[in-house]
Amino acid sequence: MSKLTYADLEKYSKVFADSGLNWVRVSMDTGGIAAGADTVCSIFEKGVGTLGFGMEVRRVGSLGYSFADPLVEIAREGMPRVVYGRVDDEVAKRILQEHLVGRRLIDDHVLAWRNRALTFDGPTTYILVKDTGAEKGDKSQFFQFSLAEELKRCNLQDKVQVVRALDMGVYDAGVAVQFLPSRVTYTNVLAPDVARIVKTSVQGKKIIDDLLYKKPDKQVRVVMRNCGKFDPENFQDCLRYGVYQGLVRVLQGMKPEEAIAEMKTSGLRGRGGAGFPTWLKWQITRAVQRTPKYIICNGDEGDPGAYMDRSVLEGDPHSVLEGMIIAAYAIGATRGYFYIRAEYPLAVARVEKAIADARTAGLLGENILGSGFSFDAKVRLGAGAFVCGEETALIASIEGKRGSPSPRPPYPSERGLFGHPTAINNVETLAAVPAIFVHGGTWYSQHGYEKSRGTKVFAVTGKVRNPQLVEVPLGVTLRDIVFDLCGGVFGGKAIKAVQTGGPSGGVIPEHLLDTKVSYESLQELGSIMGSGGMIVMDQDDSMVEVSRFYLRFCVDESCGKCAPCRIGGYQMLQILNRLVRGRGEKGDVERIRAISKAMQKASLCGLGQTAPNPVLSALRYFDPEFKAYLEGGMSYARKMSANRPPEPAAAEPANA
Amino acid sequence: MSPDTVRSELPANQLNAWKDDEAALLESLEQIENKHGFIPRHIAEEVSRVLEVKLERLRKLQTKVESNVRKEVDALVAKWKDEEGSLILILHEIENQHGYVPREIAMEVSYALGVKLARIYEVLTFYHYFKLKPPGRHNMSLCLGTACYLKGAPAMLAEAKSQLKVEEGSTTADREWHLDVVRCIGCCGMSPAMVVDGKTYGRLNASDVSRIIAQTTQPKAKS
Repeated sequence: MSKLTYADLEKYSKVFADSGLNWVRVSMDTGGIAAGADTVCSIFEKGVGTLGFGMEVRRVGSLGYSFADPLVEIAREGMPRVVYGRVDDEVAKRILQEHLVGRRLIDDHVLAWRNRALTFDGPTTYILVKDTGAEKGDKSQFFQFSLAEELKRCNLQDKVQVVRALDMGVYDAGVAVQFLPSRVTYTNVLAPDVARIVKTSVQGKKIIDDLLYKKPDKQVRVVMRNCGKFDPENFQDCLRYGVYQGLVRVLQGMKPEEAIAEMKTSGLRGRGGAGFPTWLKWQITRAVQRTPKYIICNGDEGDPGAYMDRSVLEGDPHSVLEGMIIAAYAIGATRGYFYIRAEYPLAVARVEKAIADARTAGLLGENILGSGFSFDAKVRLGAGAFVCGEETALIASIEGKRGSPSPRPPYPSERGLFGHPTAINNVETLAAVPAIFVHGGTWYSQHGYEKSRGTKVFAVTGKVRNPQLVEVPLGVTLRDIVFDLCGGVFGGKAIKAVQTGGPSGGVIPEHLLDTKVSYESLQELGSIMGSGGMIVMDQDDSMVEVSRFYLRFCVDESCGKCAPCRIGGYQMLQILNRLVRGRGEKGDVERIRAISKAMQKASLCGLGQTAPNPVLSALRYFDPEFKAYLEGGMSYARKMSANRPPEPAAAEPANA
Repeated sequence: MSPDTVRSELPANQLNAWKDDEAALLESLEQIENKHGFIPRHIAEEVSRVLEVKLERLRKLQTKVESNVRKEVDALVAKWKDEEGSLILILHEIENQHGYVPREIAMEVSYALGVKLARIYEVLTFYHYFKLKPPGRHNMSLCLGTACYLKGAPAMLAEAKSQLKVEEGSTTADREWHLDVVRCIGCCGMSPAMVVDGKTYGRLNASDVSRIIAQTTQPKAKS
């Protein structure tokens, strides 16, 4: 591809992106591939040739529904679009035959749409049905049968198919049905309702108000707007979906100062965890007079249980790159680095491809789009050190050194990479930037809560029914995220707590789940928002155990440079180990508190300062559990360890 | 060179033959000693001359190996020399090629870059990604991220340890299996998960672990 101009970009973005009446999109992110998306995709690629009509197979990023990997989305002329989950080789073959040729959906694999409609816009051709399990026993089959019988009675059996769904997107709401293609959803359907559903809604196209599920979808996709829509390795496809339109707006009509002002309006704050206002970071770096300046994209996602950065880098690398170019323009940087974990080879490959494509198209390099602005980007690999997510350690690592943090100030914006002014932004932050410039800062800031504006992606995992990525406006409650979007606790047990912020965060107990999520509110509860990992724990999980797990992680990952973190963490872990074995001593809890205080006050970097958080927050809300270990002694510990999986080996020093 | 390629280039029977040579020599010397009660001087001189020749040949071979290492390192250094902070990039390439960072290569890198060996080892030992010992024929990375941990990864780890009779982070004596514990492979949606020889397995329990170990070991046992 030769160098692009504004006109080319304009032309590409005008092509209706979802055009092509028949297509198959297979989610090919790491999670999908691990679940077998590779073979599924090749089955489709081989199979479409034999169908006798044009069918495009696209390898796309992930939609975020990790519980249902591998995901396949299908558009067939004259049929509603459908997302299938848990597609194995057998199901892929059936989709080819029954869906694409026979025009019949496959039972038990369809995911209902989350953007539900409130009115019928046309005749219903498919009905999804599933018992979302408020009571015991699965009634999906019964309702599928009775709906089908009722349709047969009305002579509609050839026009409407009733399909059992894999997931309805609503939970604990009795039997739910969704009508396709209109996406109207009913919940708490009872047996007597079947007749009137067919009569009123299918034949009469009218809403039955008492059954209608009216709650709008809580998700708002800004960062993940393009994930799962196009092949990130197909540059022209990306352009068709409007990637680089934000950059065009900035380069064509904005001075750097105006770009920063727009960011200020948007209220976007760093999504890596600390929540420093992005515009301010840019402005400070811009204000420093020395050149060259650098920009770094922090993709060292080390928090166990968080994988949203990986998903974005794999699904939409061009948008992150676009965000980086805009940031570079605003601060006057000439060089950019993507610092990505080496454990994410697919993300690394896709970002490298994106950079190469952008460079050939003239979106990187000298004089970008004729604006006189020059910028280039490179990829640097992380090497598996959690502390490298800390900005000074990250800079040391890019410089080819051991990733030890250094004291701040001087801040990186003053003296960063190779001693030059450097701005470091998280993947998610940069991915949100182009959307802000396409739709405007005011548009972005309409979502959010108090001082936390916009949306945030959370990776909800652990003992949750449907582990997945969700992107929600800040200000929704934890309960909304865990119960409404992810279906609550796995196996019908009671929820005990939600852990946010990973090893730097803390646990939030059940009675505080109605807290609105924002940087400040979580901090008040003794946790942090962090990079967005959210781990659900049920009644069986021991909080002493969990806090020990996180502390062990921090002890393993401590770089050993400063004493509070190196020694304090280790000593605290010894105390917890002792406690879990039932050999706790009087005063242990007080000792933990004292060590924590020292670590928080005196550690050099964020890792050490926040390492005691999981323990402290567990102490704050689950003090009785610690007491029980202390008072119960060995017999209690033995009883607890009977319910507990065998113990992992003792912690080793960080660099063993 | 992964252990596999070493094995294919130096078949076991040849190695054994070479070892047998030495054994045969020792044996004949012993016979002579038994016969005469001592080893005659001319025989001893002849033997030492032959051994010296052999040693000389081995030295030549050694320099050949070393010059290969040098060539490889020089190529890497040339590739990255214009990059600031290139050390980690070079180490990444070595790690990807060999599966670990051999000491002789690290020494060569130190020489080529003019960086002290201690600096290189400072970096190597700091990052979990770099390994100093060769991996096994099969490698298992068991995820101990939070989601996997809560959903039963410790039980899987215990199972893997007892099946393979090896501690985490180490290799079995026959270099068949290497067991590693990793922090989050990003497959929390199908936790607990693990990676065996590059293939990810999800939604596992302890019995799956022994099944996968058996499956992975099986094909080799047949051949």
